[in-house]
Amino acid sequence: MNARNQTRGAVDGVLAVAAIGLAISLAVAFTHLISQGHASFNTASSGVTWGLPVVTYVFFALTSTGLTLVASLALVFGLKAFYPIAKRCIWLSIASIVAGFASLALELGHPFRMIWAIPLNFQYQSPLLWMGVFYATFLVLGLLKFRRIHGGDWDSQGSRTLGIAALTAEVFAALTLGSAFGMMAMRPFWFGPEVPVNFLLSGATTGAAFAVLITYIAHGGLERMPQKVRSVMTGAMPKVLATAVALYFLMTLYRMVNGLWSNADGLQVWDVIVRSPLYWLEMAALVVAFLLMVGPDTRARGPMQVGAALLTLVAAFIGRYEFVIGGQLVPLFKGAWVPGLIDYVPSLAEWMLTIMALSITFLVYAMGERMLDLSAAPGPDTQDAAPDARIDAPLPRAA
Amino acid sequence: MAKWGMVIDLEKCAGCQACTTACQMENTRQPGENWQDVLYYTEGEQPSPQLKWFPRPCMHCEEPSCAAVCPTKATYKDQDGFVLIDWNRCIGCKFCMVACPYGVRFYTDEKPAVEPNVKGVFPSNEGRQWNPPWKMPDATEDPTRGVGVQPPGVVSKCTFCTHRVSKAPAGTIDLDPDNPATRDFTPACVVTCAPGARTFGDLSNPNSRVSKLLPGRWRRCRRAVQPRHPQGLRSRSR
Repeated sequence: MNARNQTRGAVDGVLAVAAIGLAISLAVAFTHLISQGHASFNTASSGVTWGLPVVTYVFFALTSTGLTLVASLALVFGLKAFYPIAKRCIWLSIASIVAGFASLALELGHPFRMIWAIPLNFQYQSPLLWMGVFYATFLVLGLLKFRRIHGGDWDSQGSRTLGIAALTAEVFAALTLGSAFGMMAMRPFWFGPEVPVNFLLSGATTGAAFAVLITYIAHGGLERMPQKVRSVMTGAMPKVLATAVALYFLMTLYRMVNGLWSNADGLQVWDVIVRSPLYWLEMAALVVAFLLMVGPDTRARGPMQVGAALLTLVAAFIGRYEFVIGGQLVPLFKGAWVPGLIDYVPSLAEWMLTIMALSITFLVYAMGERMLDLSAAPGPDTQDAAPDARIDAPLPRAA
Repeated sequence: MAKWGMVIDLEKCAGCQACTTACQMENTRQPGENWQDVLYYTEGEQPSPQLKWFPRPCMHCEEPSCAAVCPTKATYKDQDGFVLIDWNRCIGCKFCMVACPYGVRFYTDEKPAVEPNVKGVFPSNEGRQWNPPWKMPDATEDPTRGVGVQPPGVVSKCTFCTHRVSKAPAGTIDLDPDNPATRDFTPACVVTCAPGARTFGDLSNPNSRVSKLLPGRWRRCRRAVQPRHPQGLRSRSR
């Protein structure tokens, strides 16, 4: 039996804004795509091949993995303190991957051909194949898992197995997505065995940030949260976010240090990146988010948590942009008369796809919030056991 | 099976771009999407800078990374050594373009490199991006090998003029533009090369001109210096 909590907050507002955002972004994007095709993008064969829509896809695909990781803290790893946010995270991870796929589909030359051409030809050497297999597998398993917990089956053997399988698919999807970039030895900015782990960590960071953000959207504030939700939001969740942000910051910092030190052709992009205010905005946002979540006074305060989550998401999006675009800024095998670095600024149509993906994420989330009781958690037995199983006792709330 | 390959003598190449123009006409390419190009470099500084150049078609790698990353096997290496694209299977994901170390793949649904866009003058309703009167005959086009006018939403690349080479009589080991018997089967860039810098033939046959042109030093070092083992080889006269 589920303990259903009544949610309040800004869900209706989010639903309205997301619907408007989706309508506008789709209208503008389709107007451009129908009239100009992909010429409405600022991508080029001699320039940046994968532009902002791919950045958007990577961001939301990794966020989906991160949200599944957060949900799995309860559903797979047995940290029952996280049960009150698990169902919402699972649903948002599905929404997030749908948003990522939507952005990718509009970037592909033949998205519908992909449906039959990939499975029928099965190029097992391609990371794109396996990434698609893993994300598609997650989509199915994630929906099945959600259906189970929506029906009140949180802890049966079948439900737990589904959760483990969904988490496995998501983790390998993120790792494979990282490999798609990390295998590219001809592009030193991307290349490296640590890139898949970097992607997984990036996903965990944005997943944790989204989990915090939507919990506040759902309940409208810390003081309005049910006790169980408030416990995790003032106890373990800020520490999870702080840990993820700290690790992600260090990985970003040392990628920059190594990149600036190296003289491999292609890594001169780092000289450009560190001169960009965006990079320092990213680093500053991560530092501030970490400080907010690590301070005993600030991490238990609602506005600080929302602020930290927003800063983390902005920083991570900048990071994904720097990564995907940065790897293409040095032209490969071009003459001396080609610019040493490609100048790329996303077009309006590309930005619209990013807004579209963001809108889809929040629209699907808000619809789920209204229709699917995303605040549900396991029944009284499990909830009673929760305090003993928490990884940390709730902190005293700030006045 | 033949293993077709090209040797380009860099000491003979004059950097005239006739190969680029011939490829444009043969394969209906536009500036900015040239399957064949000549790259120019400036070496040294004032007062004695030197202009250098480097002809650059697709290398038709022996182990093409573009084929390995293609999720639909649209890019493939055929039995005669050509790296080709099946336009009917390409989904336009552009991973091959990202993975090609030589930057010789083209997605042409993009802003034209040169204005005005001549493609708009010859629109097509037949699945092609445009329909110029000088394009190759319909019967010669073969989307399964990436031959013809590029359709929308797919990637294209140099085919080594497979539509010509594949019609060469069995057992041919040299496609010599000076030989009337083989001229029509020779890639357009080889035919048009005025200094005769390009030689095309069967690399699997030790008696072919391309095999004899390859110096031992190139054979020894190519694995070490060329990451994808190109079949479009270069040598210098001795």
